[in-house]
Amino acid sequence: MHPGIYASVMKWIPEGSHVLDLGTGDGAFLDRLVRDKRIVAEGVEKNPALVSLCIQRGLVVHQGNIMEGLDQYSDQSFDYVTLLGTFQELLMPEEIVREAFRVGKRVIVSYNNFAYYRVRLQILFCGHTPITPSLPQPWYRTANLHFLSTLDFREFCRALDVSETRRACFGTHGAAAFWPNLLAAEVVSLLESQTKPR
Amino acid sequence: MKDSPDNIQGDLQDQTIKDYKSALGVTRTRTVTLPEVQLQSGYTFDQVEVSYQTLGKLSERRDNAILVCHALSGSAHLAGLHPENRRPGWWDFHVGPGKAIDTDKFFVICSNVLGGCDGTTGPASPNPETGRPYGTDFPFVCVRDMVTVQAKLIEHLGIPQLFAVIGGSMGGMQALSWAVNFPESVRVCVPIASCSSHNAMQIAFNEIGRRAIITDPDWNGGNYTEECRPNHGLAVARMVGHVTYLSDYAMTRKFGRTLQPPVKASSNPDETGLFSVESYLHHQGESFVNRFDPNSYLYLTKALDQFDLFDGQSPAEVLRRVKARFLVISFASDWLYPPAQSRELVRLLKRSRAATTYINLETLYGHDSFLIQNPEFAKVLGHYLENEYEHDRSPKAVAT
Repeated sequence: MHPGIYASVMKWIPEGSHVLDLGTGDGAFLDRLVRDKRIVAEGVEKNPALVSLCIQRGLVVHQGNIMEGLDQYSDQSFDYVTLLGTFQELLMPEEIVREAFRVGKRVIVSYNNFAYYRVRLQILFCGHTPITPSLPQPWYRTANLHFLSTLDFREFCRALDVSETRRACFGTHGAAAFWPNLLAAEVVSLLESQTKPR
Repeated sequence: MKDSPDNIQGDLQDQTIKDYKSALGVTRTRTVTLPEVQLQSGYTFDQVEVSYQTLGKLSERRDNAILVCHALSGSAHLAGLHPENRRPGWWDFHVGPGKAIDTDKFFVICSNVLGGCDGTTGPASPNPETGRPYGTDFPFVCVRDMVTVQAKLIEHLGIPQLFAVIGGSMGGMQALSWAVNFPESVRVCVPIASCSSHNAMQIAFNEIGRRAIITDPDWNGGNYTEECRPNHGLAVARMVGHVTYLSDYAMTRKFGRTLQPPVKASSNPDETGLFSVESYLHHQGESFVNRFDPNSYLYLTKALDQFDLFDGQSPAEVLRRVKARFLVISFASDWLYPPAQSRELVRLLKRSRAATTYINLETLYGHDSFLIQNPEFAKVLGHYLENEYEHDRSPKAVAT
């Protein structure tokens, strides 16, 4: 994942917040967030070996899949729910974002932009499923289930009645603020909902 | 994890492991007489004997005490070698210097439960009114009563608050009961392969064990003598119980269909030898009979079946008073205390906003996975305790 995504999340989450991180991995990022921002955090991770690493770091972590992880919490238990790097792998992104808004006030999502120009060029000129630094695996090995663009994501937010209040976009080399649907490979968005999503 | 048939050990205390060395050397249990214990049923003991073991040193701040609660067949002999039979304590793999429960860092206590038969007052103890063993005159004991006695022991040892209460299976129920009934006394609670109440299958297996004992003619309504006790029934109870602690994988791996030597070639079923697994179970049964009281088995399994952490109240109501942080561990291959039970417990704890870490380890050895050499398990438990202890002592934690 682009380091700029972590930097953005660090910037957006205020000190002392309560954060639920879905798909925590080895806990390295959540651990940094806990130390630097003095947040109170919990993680959800499916892989027991990675959960063991999170425990080694002293994190509160739940071993299970994301949906089951979310079901553990009562309404509005967290200030932020983060979904970093796994969004396009979720079987039911809509349900999960709705659930995330049940347990959290704000949701931070990062995803790969499938309308990135290098992806487009590969499809157009090479005629095969693209492989890029942010989509490094061939189609038969990738965990990605959904191929969405920043425009798709915007529509998704509209459908769920949530607003994208902040966004940071990254190309292969750095920030890609201009024409993100073409120039951004990875995007991170801060979502807020005035009303609970239907 | 080293995948070897040797991993299936069951209780270490039933093993004679050649040249087994414990870093703790020989460890002893002590017995203390505690005054007046009132049970949930209202029955009051004027005094209760408690057999216990302590390992490591209590810190100056008295903040490093860990109570380990044993399971159904466990004892106060937690780790180290028994002074007489030289057998290792039941959790010697995980308790000792540098181990998951590090005796260089923590003051570790383990006591035999009320109703047990390893030195603590139980059905085999003399009834002061008659001078003979209580037998079935022994009052009904519940998990909470066990915890009440442990709390008195902790007080007797001069420990204001436990850093952690840890236990597997029945020990996990005690740990949970501590967190609920003595919320101020527990900082960290670690229930392993446990649950908030037994399901029908768990009760059913216990009932088979109880029936085996009660229908043994030597049981004699519970008034048996040392010479004539229901050994047969107890051995059968243990055999059934022991199978429920293993897994298909573990049994296939250790025994398969191998025959116990000497193997006789015969077409007559009466003359063929035993399968290894049969012989193993016979051994387990016999070995258990030598160290366990049949009536204790009845009382303790009843206490397990009756246990309900919430006692008919709403879980939210009961868990509201809990202050501890939790590490809940289950094992994917444990079909007796299936992970779903632990997950349900975790859900209730989290919904009550208790800081709860949960891991379902993929150990293949069934319910006994916490008793065997299990590096993944040891790593999780060890790191968790270390981090929580450091967290408790850090200036930040003190300030908040």
